[in-house]
Amino acid sequence: MTMNKRLSILLLTAPSMVVLLGVFLLPMLLMLLLSFQNDEQAFSVENYLLFAKDPYYAEIMWRTIRVSLWTVLCSLVLGFPVAMFMAQATGKMRGIVTMLILAPHLISVVIRNFGWVVVLGEKGWINEVLLALGLIKEPLRLLYNELGVVIGLTDSFIAYMVLAIATSLYAIDPSLSKAASILGASRVRTFFTVTLPLSLPGLVAGTTLVFSLSMSAFVTPALMGGTSVKVMPVIAYEQIMATLNWPLGAALAFLLLGSTILLVTLYTRLIETKRYKEVFSS
Amino acid sequence: MSKVIDVELRSLMKKFQNNIVVQDFNLQVEQGEFVSFLGPSGCGKTTTLNMIAGFLDPDGGDLLIKGQRMNGVPPYKRELGMVFQTYSLFPHMTVAENIAYGLKLRKISKSQIQERVGRVLDLVKLPHVADRYPKQLSGGQRQRIAIARALVIEPSLLLLDEPLSNLDAKLREELRDELKRLHQEIGVTTIFVTHDQEEALSLSDRIVVMNHGFIEQIGTPKDIYNRPASEFVHTFIGKTNRLEGEVAGHEGDSLIIQTIGGLLVEAKSANLMLLPGQKATVFIRPEKIRLSADTAPEGRNRVNGQLKLSSFLGSYTECEVQANGHSISVKLQTVDKGVELVPGKAVSCSWDAEDVLVMPAERG
Repeated sequence: MTMNKRLSILLLTAPSMVVLLGVFLLPMLLMLLLSFQNDEQAFSVENYLLFAKDPYYAEIMWRTIRVSLWTVLCSLVLGFPVAMFMAQATGKMRGIVTMLILAPHLISVVIRNFGWVVVLGEKGWINEVLLALGLIKEPLRLLYNELGVVIGLTDSFIAYMVLAIATSLYAIDPSLSKAASILGASRVRTFFTVTLPLSLPGLVAGTTLVFSLSMSAFVTPALMGGTSVKVMPVIAYEQIMATLNWPLGAALAFLLLGSTILLVTLYTRLIETKRYKEVFSS
Repeated sequence: MSKVIDVELRSLMKKFQNNIVVQDFNLQVEQGEFVSFLGPSGCGKTTTLNMIAGFLDPDGGDLLIKGQRMNGVPPYKRELGMVFQTYSLFPHMTVAENIAYGLKLRKISKSQIQERVGRVLDLVKLPHVADRYPKQLSGGQRQRIAIARALVIEPSLLLLDEPLSNLDAKLREELRDELKRLHQEIGVTTIFVTHDQEEALSLSDRIVVMNHGFIEQIGTPKDIYNRPASEFVHTFIGKTNRLEGEVAGHEGDSLIIQTIGGLLVEAKSANLMLLPGQKATVFIRPEKIRLSADTAPEGRNRVNGQLKLSSFLGSYTECEVQANGHSISVKLQTVDKGVELVPGKAVSCSWDAEDVLVMPAERG
């Protein structure tokens, strides 16, 4: 690379670098330092030890992971067919579907969550209809539990899953499924032996994205989980805003960040085998 | 021994919306035969192949493979082999896994799969690439593997959808010979779709020439080349000189035509049903025309003119001669010593009456 090119890259990225350093990395560093302080503002690891000692926190962490995994699974199962439809559709139809998927995101997540409250509540139309049909005797509990949170999160993040998988599917040569078919594979067989393996990069991107977003989601668990389904971002928020225990709140936030990174790394390591790299490296 | 018919198409028809793309397609392919569908793009050849493969369902007529009606049978139940233009190897499988794919679906034992994969790799002369991924192979190697994958299941019919058109010229020729050798060795009934006349001529037992969804002619390569059924077939296959004129008279088994430029052309064994005064078109292949530097008097099948262009193309020389208002192209295999092909030179073109093809002028 010539000096000129380097210089122009540096100059072009400088504004965002400055912003990132100033308002992201620096505050993160300060929070990290803060998380190692005790009441007397001396260095200590007690905030982290508390997490190890008190099963209350471990349970919340496990719940956060569990809810995120369910969200990933639901968006995958519901999103894959949509992505496949997009991959098979013509350009115009693709545009329409992309727009439909993204349109809800034009509305604030808070409003959308309240929309779900109206739909899923004890007096929501789902329960009303089921009661009227006599299929259930008491209203189902669809809100303020983990199910409610998973529904809310899936609604929020499924778009990422669909678009990530669709991008991968677009790259698959349509004649491959023809080749599989003529070699004797039924549609289901073709899906599992050709389409699915070749969509792995998009699938990994989609699941990682949805998992990370679900782990750190705050608004939806707060609104649709209520007080009974507490997840890590919610208790970190409480420590900082309600209890004013900033060091503990910071420690919880970093524990969440650490476990997300750890899980995502393990996951990608597991998937990105030697074969995966051989096939998908460009 | 009576001949076994492997594939039979009876009045096959296909339309997309209201657009008929294949019409009145009748064909019988014998066991072991190599048949090509030849025609320009959009002539319906690929559509017909896709109907045989089962990717498209005919809107009319019957399709029989080995005597069984196949209309509506999905591709995966047809036991066919197919090679696609884009190779279509599974990128996430090694060469061996690609070839084994069809065998695994047929629940063949591991040891047998291994043996058959090895054998077919030997057949396409690529025994050393079994553990490579498709993207580590060259275009020619990929297409050979695609052929191996299609052949390994011992299909009742091999379908080739323009398999050579993504390769460069030299490789294309190499793989064409390879296809010929494989067909001779295995003898599998083959249907080959191409828009390349040379491929069709060199490989086929019979050629089906198609245009606008119709069959123009079915015949051996020699028939198609020497006795074309229509002007389309004649002009699509090989270069030709086209001279318009009208019938001047008959002379024994010859037909005399006077061209618009006043040239007299004698054609032997032509269509004698043509009547004097009727408009007719004369065709003479460039390679059938002789060129000489002497300017003997003009006469039947002999015209004097001026050399306009000559291009040396290695194995032959292409010339263009302006004579009597006609532009005649000539293909010379050898150039007589002492004859210099300089533009502007006076030359004489002549040809034999046997090499002249006459067709009634197309109306409209």
